[in-house]
Amino acid sequence: MKILVVDDTEANRKLLAWMLEDDGHEVIEAVDGQEAVSLFKETEPDLVLMDVMMPVMDGFEATQAIKEYLGGTHVPIIFLTALSDDASLTKCLSIGGDDFLSKPINEQVLQAKIKAHSRIKDLTEQLKHQNKELTRLHQFTVREHEIAKSVFENALAASILDSKNTRHYISPAATFNGDLLLVSISPSGGLYALMADFTGHGLPAAIGALPVSQAFLEAAQQGASVSSIAREVNSTLEKFLPDDMFAAAAIAELNADGNRLTLWLGGMPDAILTDAAGKLKQLIQSTHMPLGILEDDEFEREANIVEVNHGDRLFLYTDGIPESLNQQREMYGEKRMLQHFDGSSADPLTSLIEDVNRFTGNKDQNDDITLLELACKPVETSVTGDASVLTLNHALPWTLHMSLQAEELRKTSSPISQIVDMIGSAPGIESHKDYLHTILAELFSNALEHGILGLCSDLKKTEDGYMEYYRQRAEKLKQLDKGTLDITVSFRAEGRKGYLTLRLDDSGKGFDIANRHHSGDEDSFGRGIDLIETLCDNVTYSEGGTRVEAEYTIQT
Amino acid sequence: MPVESTLSSDGKTVTIGISGRFDFEVVQEFRAAYGDKKDVSFIIDMRATEHMDSSALGMLLNMRKSLGDSAKIAIINCRPQIKKILTISRFDKKFDIE
Repeated sequence: MKILVVDDTEANRKLLAWMLEDDGHEVIEAVDGQEAVSLFKETEPDLVLMDVMMPVMDGFEATQAIKEYLGGTHVPIIFLTALSDDASLTKCLSIGGDDFLSKPINEQVLQAKIKAHSRIKDLTEQLKHQNKELTRLHQFTVREHEIAKSVFENALAASILDSKNTRHYISPAATFNGDLLLVSISPSGGLYALMADFTGHGLPAAIGALPVSQAFLEAAQQGASVSSIAREVNSTLEKFLPDDMFAAAAIAELNADGNRLTLWLGGMPDAILTDAAGKLKQLIQSTHMPLGILEDDEFEREANIVEVNHGDRLFLYTDGIPESLNQQREMYGEKRMLQHFDGSSADPLTSLIEDVNRFTGNKDQNDDITLLELACKPVETSVTGDASVLTLNHALPWTLHMSLQAEELRKTSSPISQIVDMIGSAPGIESHKDYLHTILAELFSNALEHGILGLCSDLKKTEDGYMEYYRQRAEKLKQLDKGTLDITVSFRAEGRKGYLTLRLDDSGKGFDIANRHHSGDEDSFGRGIDLIETLCDNVTYSEGGTRVEAEYTIQT
Repeated sequence: MPVESTLSSDGKTVTIGISGRFDFEVVQEFRAAYGDKKDVSFIIDMRATEHMDSSALGMLLNMRKSLGDSAKIAIINCRPQIKKILTISRFDKKFDIE
């Protein structure tokens, strides 16, 4: 160790130096406080032995100067003093000294003290090092959280749809929300809502939100039923989360007309259904286990179907509300909550949230809180115009031709989807794809079944015959060895209108155009032609019934 | 499964959902979905049905014939294009179309 010895008496310095060097220490000597301070800065010793009474600058002053210079770093300073009154000793320590040794110096006591202080110095250094490491890790974690937070916000931002049917309140207990709320429209014009409450809160709880939102939004886009969404999300979570983590969840769907709710509730507090005045009509209990526990084959998918009146409101919330604690660690409770739904408040969402906040005071929230109000009325969605509907003014004419031989016709998959996708990519056609699919599918079935395969619709008169018809269709198609079906689609634009001509030529025998069958309401067949004629402006048969041409008009 | 049928918790309603294309390829499955059920009302949920053709219309009519005129069959959640096909074919006379 490098030790600075400060004493104005040379004999004392020499004695100490002798004792210390004998123990293998390096000794630097200073004759007064001022020299001590400058030598200290110069040589950076590991320990200081400091006399108190010295000329120029005494030990107290020098110690203060050195400690000030050191800042947070620890270098022990031990006073050497002949003073023995309590006041002086106390002063030694109070101005920054770490210990004292009484003169005359006892060599064994000196050695023991140096050892003890060297240990403290090591520990202090270790601590300082660990603190530095901790600070670095903390900064790192803060940065990671910031990144994760922005990922979450971006991933979930688009999913809370601003719909006229819903209002919500979300208040996470930590940076990350263990509650998840998603709202999405369905292809049939209805509305889906998913509320999930993951075990725990903070980042670990929030992690589950990503796969859940993905599974939910995908299923919503496909127009899946509430029970299928529940099942889908369950199996996603079951695969994804550790065994001790799961999510209580409510999945609701409001149909487009706004008069039917379908609900799947697992592990959630009772959903509240009120009338237009905000008065409780029904409590809907959770009948299932939370998501992410049961294996797919054990999963219970039964959903509640509730017929509702326009103006009714459904409230979904997480247990953060009834379990909110006040200063006395008392729970808010269901009773207090339900008071807002007795008809006295026209806006239970706002009055409930205000009351909960009043109840808890400014105390830190103990769990994430999420509340959703779903108004039962025809679903209004701000669907923006179909971007693919372009003006037809500049659309160029084109023709697409596909000639299918027996080999291609034998394939079980219909070529219609492929054709519709191809023509759907042309300007102005995207939003007509569904009708075109129907028309082409009908034309194709007729040409294939009646033209090429020679099947007769009379068979379809009975239910069993209907099945037989399709059995024969499969049979004959499998054995088909020759036959051609040509599909030609051409497009031309005139002013603001576009015209698609769909032509199918088959290699069959044709049929008696004049006497084709028109179906009655009871018939389970022959509807295809009616359908085509309604959707198209012009349908003509020629070439002895082996060609059909239908014209479809696109208006902008 | 393109055709899925589920019984409600009270055992009184069978919901038949058809996903993707509702056409002759599901003729067997569709019949099986209602074939052996008695004293229940049916909901045909078209939420996930992207297309239907005239053979699907035929299947629906067969279902009506097989269950009788008194059976309750509702068709729900139709996309606009599907609803149009059902309307064109005057199916509202035989089914409750929502």
